[in-house]
Amino acid sequence: MSTTEPFRYGVAQERDWNAMSDEDFRALVRDDFDTHYPHALRFPSRRLRWHENKDWHLRMAAKGWIAPAWPVEYGGMGLSPSKLLIFMEEQERVGIARFQDHGVLMVGPVLMRYGTEEQKRKYLPGILSCEDIWCQGYSEPNSGSDLASLRTRAVRDGDDFVIDGQKIWTTLAHDANHMFALVRTDPDAKPQQGISFLLLDFASPGVRVRPIRDLSGHEEFCEVFLDGVRTHHTNLVGALNQGWTVAKSLLGFERIFLGSPKLPEYGLQVLETVARARGVFDDPVFNDRFVSLKIDVAHLGDIYGHYAAIVGRGEPLGPDVSLLKIWASETSQRIADLIIDTAGPFGGMNAAARIGETAINALAPFYKARVQTIYGGSSEIQRNILARQVLDLPG
Amino acid sequence: MTDETLTMLADAAASFAKPDTARVRAVRGSADGFDRAVWKQMADLGWYAIVVPESADGLGLGLTAGATIASKLGYAAFPEPFVSAGLMAPWCLARAGARAAPLLAAVTGGDVVAALAWQDERGGLDTDRPGAIATVSGADTVLRGACRFVVPASADAFVVAATAGDGVGLYWVTRTQAGVSVTAEPCADGTASAWLVLDDVKVAPEHCVATPADGAALLRSTVDLGTIASSAELVGGMDRALELTLDYLRTRKQFGKPIGSFQALQHRAVDLWIHRQVTRAVVDAAIRTFDSPASDARARTLAASSAKARAAQSALLLSNQTIQLHGAIGTTDEYDLGLYVNRALTLSAWMGNASEHRRRFGALSATSAKATA
Repeated sequence: MSTTEPFRYGVAQERDWNAMSDEDFRALVRDDFDTHYPHALRFPSRRLRWHENKDWHLRMAAKGWIAPAWPVEYGGMGLSPSKLLIFMEEQERVGIARFQDHGVLMVGPVLMRYGTEEQKRKYLPGILSCEDIWCQGYSEPNSGSDLASLRTRAVRDGDDFVIDGQKIWTTLAHDANHMFALVRTDPDAKPQQGISFLLLDFASPGVRVRPIRDLSGHEEFCEVFLDGVRTHHTNLVGALNQGWTVAKSLLGFERIFLGSPKLPEYGLQVLETVARARGVFDDPVFNDRFVSLKIDVAHLGDIYGHYAAIVGRGEPLGPDVSLLKIWASETSQRIADLIIDTAGPFGGMNAAARIGETAINALAPFYKARVQTIYGGSSEIQRNILARQVLDLPG
Repeated sequence: MTDETLTMLADAAASFAKPDTARVRAVRGSADGFDRAVWKQMADLGWYAIVVPESADGLGLGLTAGATIASKLGYAAFPEPFVSAGLMAPWCLARAGARAAPLLAAVTGGDVVAALAWQDERGGLDTDRPGAIATVSGADTVLRGACRFVVPASADAFVVAATAGDGVGLYWVTRTQAGVSVTAEPCADGTASAWLVLDDVKVAPEHCVATPADGAALLRSTVDLGTIASSAELVGGMDRALELTLDYLRTRKQFGKPIGSFQALQHRAVDLWIHRQVTRAVVDAAIRTFDSPASDARARTLAASSAKARAAQSALLLSNQTIQLHGAIGTTDEYDLGLYVNRALTLSAWMGNASEHRRRFGALSATSAKATA
């Protein structure tokens, strides 16, 4: 007989959020975010580092709000799809900056599905408390869009796997203390079949992180060198050589947030501010271009609403959802281009400059938008997938 | 209306309006520009009563149902003027009061084809100051002036919107009435619109269907309804044009391979599909806004401009690109794609094209932003 308490992963929830009406829940989170999230950190022009926004996320962790999608028994808020959508929409509306949240978004759900009891107890509490920050080791110098060609190897040696290779474009690896990585464990198998999903601790000898300075002068992405890094064999998630399947299972409905209209809506506000300050807002040529973009953003909202309704009904999203990412990212780029064009001489300054009554960095939206058509599957890869899987065109 | 009712209606419309391009070709350029027998069949299906409230003996199903049918007719490139004479005229007459009841019955029964005549000779979109002028003369009202882009040109009767003092009146005028002259102007798809000249046309009191106090609001909602429904019709046409093009890309072989295996063409096809998907979502959102009791007149007009700005732009983009993806065969009259291109050109230009609706969207959204600021 066993009447032992269930393992406690994180703080208890104050209440059953799903028992609230959608309207009440929205009002509650909106009020919390509006009241407590610092104005200075809203809609930042670049990805914030952990030391800049950790106060907010530690507050969320202490409140039990860091993992809204996780089930309550694992220490999450246990939100239904419609409540989760509201939670995320309110974060977007306030312009709350993400932290390196791959632990919450990726590692947690993967361990809940494929992890052993020991793995869950070892890693989930650190994710919920934000003591452990995870980064994603997928891309390599010669494996970007063609990810299945990755060459970082892991070889079994006694109780450990020994990892040798290099990862790149690792988001905020310099804020992380853990990595989940795809590594090749069977060099003789077909590309997608010899890959395993491994967890590793950055405190292990042989890990070196080098930030990559980007066009805007910021360091958001890193290279990670793995030189004889040992990780215990119990850090293998799922079966050996089944890493591709494990990684693919992560493509959940979070994909719709790559198409959230809030960021381009904010871009339009910046554009309008710049145009008014430079006295061209009433110019008919500017106005025609502005209204075209305004319609593109409004229509992003309509197509986003279409997919949000699918999520709200609890139905799965198909591969067609990637049109959202294409439309959102390309619209953001057009807005950024028009901001530069409208800004005149300020369009050549990568710093907050005084334009009229406000200080605006007219280039920040440009730099921010460049990478959006590349990460998470470039626009070209998205179009390949849509052509094959949705339009049924021949390979 | 339940989802089930809507699905049944969509299925019924799809099975009635199967693409029959031989028929579409046969009626092109005919005196009516469409088939009166088909028109009567659609009346017998009850479709012209869809947007008529139940209190006026209609089905009361709203634009959601009306646009569903328009979209299916668009898929088959039907030239029948369903949006104008099957949705707009009944919508308008059903809300015009008791006087219009016998006129409404004739229209929903399919016995009289009636068209709304509201645009001036330059094709402006202003519903507040129509080009025709109404003056009171004893018991009658007298109409003078011109209306243009009236669909179909062969309509038996017209609901004429005329500036009456400070307001807009709506008047029932028959084609054969004294002082009415009609010139048919051909459209790209083989249908025609009417250029209506009114030379001291006398309208009896029972044919004054909306007073100058009520006419402007009714005209505006009727035009918004028609604009959104014709956007839905354009989406249906895009569905078929894209389907034809994807079939062609899968089967046409050059250099020993289906041309749809070439990445350059795949990406262009994906872009067309994206535009169709976005357009469908935008039009669906506009339909919901129109049907929602919570929407005011400005929200409905904004929704109409949103829908038509996107639908007209996407339809012309698809027209251009589907021709190009087909190559030379896409430029011929004997290949079916051309029927969809010409229908898209006609519908895109009717009641405001993409640029006109973008301008109006910009103006309306600027004022609503100020109003809520």
